[in-house]
Parts: sequence; structure tokens; C-alpha cells
Amino acid sequence: MRDELSRAASRVLIATLALAISAGCNVNRAHNDHQRQQILQNYFSSDPQTFNPILVTDLISGRILERVFDPLIQVNNKTTLPEPGIAESWNISPDERTVTFHLRHNVRWFDGQAVTAHDVLFTLAVIYDPKVPNSVRPGLLIDGKAIVADAPDDYTVVMHLPRPFAPLLYSAGIQVIPAHILEPIWKAGNFNHTWGINTPPSEIIGDGAYKLTQYVQGQFVRLERNDDYWMKDEHGEQLPRLHGYVSLIITDSNATYLRYLYGQLDVYSPRPEEVLDIRDKIKQGRLHAQLKDIGIDTGESFFCFNRNPRHYTKDGHTDPKLKWFTDLNFLKAVAHLIDKKAIIDLVEHGLAAPAVSDVSPENKLFYNPNLKDYDYDPQLAAQILESAGYHMVNGRRVDPQGNPIEFNLMTSTGSPEADQICAIFKQDLENPAIGMKVNYQPLEFTTLVEKVDGSFDWDCVMMGLTGSIDPNDGSNFYRSSGNLHLWDPNQPKPATPWEAEIDRLMDEGAVEMDEQKRVPYYWLIQQILHDQLAVIQITRRKVFASWVNTLQDYQPTVWGLYKPEWMYFKND
Amino acid sequence: MARFLLRRLLNMIPLIIGITFISFVAMSLVPGNFLSALKMNPRISPQVIRQMEAQFGLDQPFTVRYFRWLWGVLHLNLGISMQYRVSVTSLIAVRAFNTIILAVASMIFSWVLAIPIGIVVAVRQNSIWDRVLSFLAFLGMSVPNFFLAFLMIYFAMHLGKDWLPPGGTFSVDYSSLTFWNRGADRINHLILPVFVLGVSGMAGLMRLMRSQILEIKNSEFVRTARAKGLSERIVLYKHVLRNALNPFVTMAGYSLGDLLGGAALVEAVMNLQGLGLLLLNAVRSLDIYLVMGSVLIGTVLLLVGNLLADMALVAVDPRVDFSSVAAE
Repeated sequence: MRDELSRAASRVLIATLALAISAGCNVNRAHNDHQRQQILQNYFSSDPQTFNPILVTDLISGRILERVFDPLIQVNNKTTLPEPGIAESWNISPDERTVTFHLRHNVRWFDGQAVTAHDVLFTLAVIYDPKVPNSVRPGLLIDGKAIVADAPDDYTVVMHLPRPFAPLLYSAGIQVIPAHILEPIWKAGNFNHTWGINTPPSEIIGDGAYKLTQYVQGQFVRLERNDDYWMKDEHGEQLPRLHGYVSLIITDSNATYLRYLYGQLDVYSPRPEEVLDIRDKIKQGRLHAQLKDIGIDTGESFFCFNRNPRHYTKDGHTDPKLKWFTDLNFLKAVAHLIDKKAIIDLVEHGLAAPAVSDVSPENKLFYNPNLKDYDYDPQLAAQILESAGYHMVNGRRVDPQGNPIEFNLMTSTGSPEADQICAIFKQDLENPAIGMKVNYQPLEFTTLVEKVDGSFDWDCVMMGLTGSIDPNDGSNFYRSSGNLHLWDPNQPKPATPWEAEIDRLMDEGAVEMDEQKRVPYYWLIQQILHDQLAVIQITRRKVFASWVNTLQDYQPTVWGLYKPEWMYFKND
Repeated sequence: MARFLLRRLLNMIPLIIGITFISFVAMSLVPGNFLSALKMNPRISPQVIRQMEAQFGLDQPFTVRYFRWLWGVLHLNLGISMQYRVSVTSLIAVRAFNTIILAVASMIFSWVLAIPIGIVVAVRQNSIWDRVLSFLAFLGMSVPNFFLAFLMIYFAMHLGKDWLPPGGTFSVDYSSLTFWNRGADRINHLILPVFVLGVSGMAGLMRLMRSQILEIKNSEFVRTARAKGLSERIVLYKHVLRNALNPFVTMAGYSLGDLLGGAALVEAVMNLQGLGLLLLNAVRSLDIYLVMGSVLIGTVLLLVGNLLADMALVAVDPRVDFSSVAAE
């Protein structure tokens, strides 16, 4: 029995193995070297959510559609200044209330129709339509009022502003949509369901450098060159040079990295721990690629204390925390307890810089370089606390009324870096010489947002916000009435003199049309926030880019690609 | 038979309603909703959020939303995914195909290997083969499969560029291939994930097979069969194997549901578009109708799988008949 049975079993096994070996099928295909075909392979971390440029709220859709739809005017990613898009020039009237855009005559939709002023007016009408939820509208409202626009001829658009409004040149970077296709749909009330991800790509009619040609859910997005694109290089040659993009959708970041090393991706944005690995592999000749430090992160990450009186006052009793969190001495002591050097070395692998201002140094125009950081100094912090009446009692720090200092700290789960930063922060505040107690809890992102933005039930949060070039885009954060004015949002009127001052500076800075003259307003706002410690800055990561050696004229910046139309593959 | 089937099918209705209701309650108890994540975007105003809330019906009370959803389900409409703004049915359909192919292939892989290996090690109990293969089985059980997936990607990389694709369900140039090459391309992309998912399942199955055979080969009816003068072949296939296979039939029903939902991490690493990853992302972003759609499909598949397993059990095990199953 023994032999019989195991002989039968072995036979099955051998047959299976043979089957498995022959299953490694050979696919006959044309030579599939994407670089030779001038096709760039890059990656997205998730699927796009829409192909409608007006309805975009996610990063990935935005990155696809910026290649398919051209903006009226755009921002130069190197200089961070506005530069021509569909409009080849613009002028501002002497009273600064009328801006005239002159459109190019040679921009055409993929179906051959010309892009005209009518398309621009239609796009504005859709953006202002209250039934179309979109993230473009807030940037184009001046004191809550819409901009009135008209078109004296097919290639001129005139915008009439209720008052001078400098941020217009940044928020006028709207992607124009084709009226001859979408206007009937919009009038029928179906705009919100148009150009979703199930739409056949050939129906997405844009005017950009690339056409969307294929989208397979969870697999890839393919773009092909628009041979009729208006842009030419200095020798009069047709741009863009790359014939297409294939963007693989890869959810897992470790798998993405392996695929870059494997040669399936041509460009990669390494995380700090990968930067060192890539550097080694290039040195050892195992990876034929470039690695470049392209600057500092454009966003910010900070600790913020809840100063919302609505949260602390219950049944006529006010929680002492409100007093601590609005006490500048307490906040200063905390600021001196953030060990930025330890965070940079331990968490960021040395690839980060201390952050001082809430604006990134990469914002060349608006960054205020004159702020002085609060150095890490536990002794000084203890002194500040002592002299402000926060004494040590039985090894615990207590406030002048004798309440022990204890508060909750939260951050969002899913970022190991944020978790480590919070651990370092907690350790420094609980150091025996300081004697505070921090109850740290990481929360799911949506739960955290609901606390910060909805129930206001929180003490201290560590979180980050993305940055933008025009500080006016941060209105919701700076203004006391904003819902992202985290420490005390949606104020009916400014609670403190310095918040009133920031509101005033935001108003005045937006009116000044000369970019250089706008700068002092925003420098002052950064100074006030730094002095009042409404948010306590942590660090900013250095940003790296890596790309294969064969890719030429690839110019990444922290704001995005510079002259992406110029890059190409050089094959030998 | 018909009565048994009818009874089981009718039993499913309250079960499905119960499971979906509890899932709906659980999803609604989580603070925040799909739009919460957008609130931290400085460019999206609270008005836009409120508009979208109304558009997705999130401003309605919980009971209204559940019954609206249930009403939709009765009309074969699973609702709209808030993330992707398309119907849940279309999202699930794309992924269900991939998942079912993957699940069935890895099940076949693990069964076809586990059963003969289980027999070999049982028959040669305590031999060197038994020890080596059992060790490998324990290794297979203890290595987390997402980690094995990474190892396999590494392995594919070392093999060289054109050998084994490290992820995805088909190549980028798929649409330009001929019919047969498309099939070959798909199979190529299945090799690594099937191996990864199959190995972890295989280990447990092999141990089960081993203990089954060991138990049965020493039982009295085997001795009786041999004493009757039956040939070794008949003893083996008719008496030992057939009895040893019973628990596997029951397991098949469950493992279908398991494979459908449990492969999310491998799907993420190997870039496979399956239901597991879809569900995981939907739960994380609180895309409630997508979650409900996935839960519904998963529940139905699990229940149907169990039903089929029970029916198959009747076919392979003469001791079980419909009246006894129905009475349970």
C-alpha cells in the first residue's frame, strides 16, 4: 500500500510541476522598449477619481488632466511667477480693476475646433454655477462676489473685478473646457455626471499636449502626444518631444520602489530612507540613474494647540487648558522643547531642515527669511515656565492655580514619521525637569479631521498642510473666519488683536497688484504667527528626484516639472 | 433535494439583511464621512463640502440611507461610489473577474500540490521526507504572504526583465497583442501571485491531509477491506482517500470567501485589482456604498460557497444525505 499510494502521489506531483513549468508562457510581442518609443513610464499611488477638470478634488486626477487640458495662464515652476498659457499675454488697466487676456489663435481642441473666448466664458460660468461643486470657485470669488467677464472678440477675454485682486493671476490658472461639447450637457443639468472615469477616453476632448487614450482601472493610464499642440521649441520643432506617458497605478510604495529599481519606471520620488540606497546603487554602478536634491518640501507640519473657547467652557466651568494654550509663555516653553535636530537625525535620516516660518523657503517670493527659530533648550523652557508661575510640585508641573499640566496629543495613523515625531515630543515634555504629562494617541485620519473640524474635541494635534505659491490660497487657514484656522476656527469676529491684524494684512495684501509690493504683508503675517505660536513648526523634508540616465532635459522642481514638453529619451 | 435547496435559499435572506444592516451601522458609527478628508484641503470651501454631502445623500439620517440602499439593491442598483463617482456595480465587476480567476487558480495550485504531498508524508511517516516537507509547510504557514510577495518580486527582478512580470494583471501593451498572446500574458502575470497565495494555503492543507491519512489508514474498516481480499488499489482510492477528502470539501466552501477578501495585502504589493484591496480602500476612505456593495457580494459568495460545499459533501460522503443536512 505504501508504495502504491506514494507512487500515485509522486506521479501527480511530477505532472503538476511539468504543467507549472510549461505555464511560464512566452508572449510574442513587438520589441517593447518604451524608451525607444519615447514613452515615459511613471506611476500613481491610486486611481484617478474623475476626468472632468472642473470637478477634480484629488491629486492623481489633477496630475493626469494637467497634461490634457491647458490652463488660461499658468505658474512657472522654476520662478513661481505667472506665465502664459492659452492666453499668450494679459494686461491690467491703470485702475487695476480690469484684466484683459489675449488668447492664442492656434490652440485647437482635439476634434479640430478652435479654442476661443467663448470657451473661457463658458468655463467661468460652470465654475460659478452653484450646482457644480468644485474647488476652483473659492479662488475666483472676490469678497464673495463673482468676477464678471466678457469677450469683445473671439480671442479676447476681459475680466472686471469689483476691486483690485492680485491673487487673480494665480487663480486664473483654470483649465478651460470645450463649450461646444459640454455646454448642452451643462444646460441639461448633467455636468456633475460627465466625464467620469468610465467615460471612453476618446470622448475626453481637451486641448493640452497629450490625449488620454487608455485607462484600465487599477492598472495604468496611457496618454499619447497631441500632434496638433500649439507649442514649438526654439528651432520651430513641434512639442512635446515625448510621444506618450504610461502611468502605472501601484498602491504599495515599497513595490513602487522595487519597480523603479527593476527598470519599469523611468522617474521616481524617493522617500528619505531610499535616497541613501539609491545613492549607493548609483555609486556601485548597479543603477543607471540620476539623483538630485531638488529643494525643501512646500508644505508645513506643526503642533497646534486648541484655543477654541467653545470646546473648553462647559456648564459654566472653564477648563484650565484654555488658559495654558493661550498663554504665550507656555507656548514658548513648548516651542523650546521641540528637538528638531533629533527629529531630523532619527526620523528623517538627516534629510530635512528645521522649519521656522509657516511658508516654505521654496516659496521664493513670499518666504520671510528673517525669523529666528526657537532653539531646543529644555533649561530655558523650564525657566520660562517657572517665571510664568508654572512650578514643580511632587515631580509634576502645575499651573499657577495648582492644576497639573496634562493634555492629549493626536496625529493621524499611517505615517510612521508623524508617530515618531510625536514620541520624541512626548518624551521631551515628560522629561523630569519639565514634568508635563502628554497622552498620545494616533487616530484614523477621518476621525482626526472630524475632531479638528467638527466636534473641536481635542487639545493638541500634530499634522501637516500642503503649501501653495500664492498665500491668499491659504485664506481658510490665516483668516479668523476660516474653517482651517485650526486653533479657533470660524470666528464671527477676530478673538485677539493679532488675529485681527492678520485678517487686515490678508485683505490689503490681496489688493496690491504689484507682486513685489505684496511681499511685506505676507512677511508680517509669518512674523505674527511665529511670535504668537498659533502653530509650532517642526521640520521640512528635503525633496529628492531620481530618473534614468537616458531621460534628457527632465527638470523636476518641488512645485512640479519645469518645461515638461522639452524632455525626451536619448537612446544609443 | 428541492425542499432542502429552497429552505437554504430562504434562510439566506434574513442572514444577508442582518449582515448588511450590521455593516451599515458599523460604518455609520465611525466619526466623519467620505468628505472628511477633503475638509483639510485649504482650497475646498465648507459650502462645496455641504453641496457634495447633499449630492451623495450623506445629509440624510442613517435609517433613510439604509432603506434607500436596500431598495436600490432590490432593483439591482448598488449605488454610487463616492471616491470614483461611478456605479459600485461597475467597479466590482472589473475586480470580481480578476479575483475569481486568482482565487480559483491559487486554490487549484494549493490543492493539487498539497494533497499528493500530504499523502507522501503520511505514508512515509517520520521519514526524512516527512520531516523536510513538514518543515517547509510550517515555514510556508508562518511567512506572511505580503512578505512572500515582496520576496517574489525580488526574485522576478533577479531573473531578468522579460521573464516574470512583477505585478499587474496584464501588460501595458496588452491591447496590441493577438488573442493567444493575451492569454499567455495573463497567465504570466498570474504565476507569482498564484504561487504566493497558493503556498500559504498549501501548508495548512498538507498538514490536514497528512493527519487525515494517518488516522484513516490505521482504522478498522481499512483492515477489514484488506482482509476481504480487495486489491491495494481499491483499498486506497475507495476507502482511504475518499474518507480523507471529506473535510476538504467543506473547506472549499469557506476558502472561497477567504480568498476573495483576504488577499488585500498581496493585491496591494503585486498591483492586482481585486475585491480585497477595493474593500480595504473603501473602508479606509469611508466610501460607504462601495463597502456595502463589497460586503454584499462577499456575503453572497460565502453563503453560496457553503451551500455548494454541503451539496458536494452529499455526493462524496454516503453517510450524509439531504434529510440529515436539512434537519441540522
